[in-house]
Amino acid sequence: MLSRAARPALSASNRALTRIVVPNAASYATLREIEGRLKSIKNIEKITKTMKIVASTKLTRAQRAMVDSRTYGQTSQQVFEEAQTKALEDKKTLLLIASSDKGLCGGIHSGMTRATRRMLEKDSSLDIAIIGEKCKAQLGRSNPKNMVLSFAGVGKDVPTFADAQAIADRITQLPQDYASIKIMYNKFINAQSYEPVIVEAFSEEAIAASENFAAFEIDDEVLANLREYALANSIYWALAEGHACEQSARRNAMDNASKNAGDMISKFQILYNRTRQSVITGELVEIITGATASADM
Amino acid sequence: MAFAWKAAGLTYNRYLAVAARVVRRSLKEDKRLQAERRGEMDLRFAKWENGKQGENKSLGEANASAMADAAGQEAK
Repeated sequence: MLSRAARPALSASNRALTRIVVPNAASYATLREIEGRLKSIKNIEKITKTMKIVASTKLTRAQRAMVDSRTYGQTSQQVFEEAQTKALEDKKTLLLIASSDKGLCGGIHSGMTRATRRMLEKDSSLDIAIIGEKCKAQLGRSNPKNMVLSFAGVGKDVPTFADAQAIADRITQLPQDYASIKIMYNKFINAQSYEPVIVEAFSEEAIAASENFAAFEIDDEVLANLREYALANSIYWALAEGHACEQSARRNAMDNASKNAGDMISKFQILYNRTRQSVITGELVEIITGATASADM
Repeated sequence: MAFAWKAAGLTYNRYLAVAARVVRRSLKEDKRLQAERRGEMDLRFAKWENGKQGENKSLGEANASAMADAAGQEAK
């Protein structure tokens, strides 16, 4: 038994005693231990509950930001849909992964890592840029050769458009010319489920080569601006949606953790009460036997 | 080049960010405080070369200095 193993000195002195009243001596020790564990589980439950509440309040803000950002992303994406832009085949692709710095939110980061690894199996020449520490830690270990950039400091608050713009600028300043930039983020399906999806931001040549491009009457000079702006828009969309997913995932994870802690608490409470009862019963039995024995004399 | 900001080495996004900052700063006091929070950016980035992570640098400063370089080249 754990209780006696943990207290060798106590068990040595009690050995003579325990041989006679085994359940009694043992239950005194376990009663303390059960009490201690009960306390620590209660503390953990308090922490997870608080984290859940924090995540819930952040979630509403994040969801509002996500709905707003969708308009940005989808409008800019619509241009390319209408123009029927396709990625050029022969050049390199950059994969930008929008994760975040913080964990404790279930499997959303590792879901994206898995999706990335699947893509790397198909095309091992992909270059990877990562926003957020979590995916960086996972992919930096398994595919360090493919990494070109990593960003940190996201996920503290709702992402701003300034964040997206700065990231877009840094990417356009990369020496290599990419045929298309694929942005991977967690798509928010509902509060329980999300899946990693990809939006594409195209290079200037790909935009210029698209079928219905002439209909837009865009000057060559402005094209570079359009491309940069579209990239920033897409990144902003991905960041905001990823952030909302993260908050909702954290809320769920913390909800589950509090529920499990609640289960454990009720289990331990019953065990504690039973043990306490049996200790009292044992003591009563001792007293009564003692009393009857001395009355006989 | 037709655009003055392009000659100054700015990217379109930087140009937009500067313009947005000007608008935010010219708002009334109460609205300005709220709006300026949307313009904050505090990211760090690191370059990776041959499977090694480089130094963590502030993204804003690096972008600014890169654009200053670009402006210098444009002038030449």
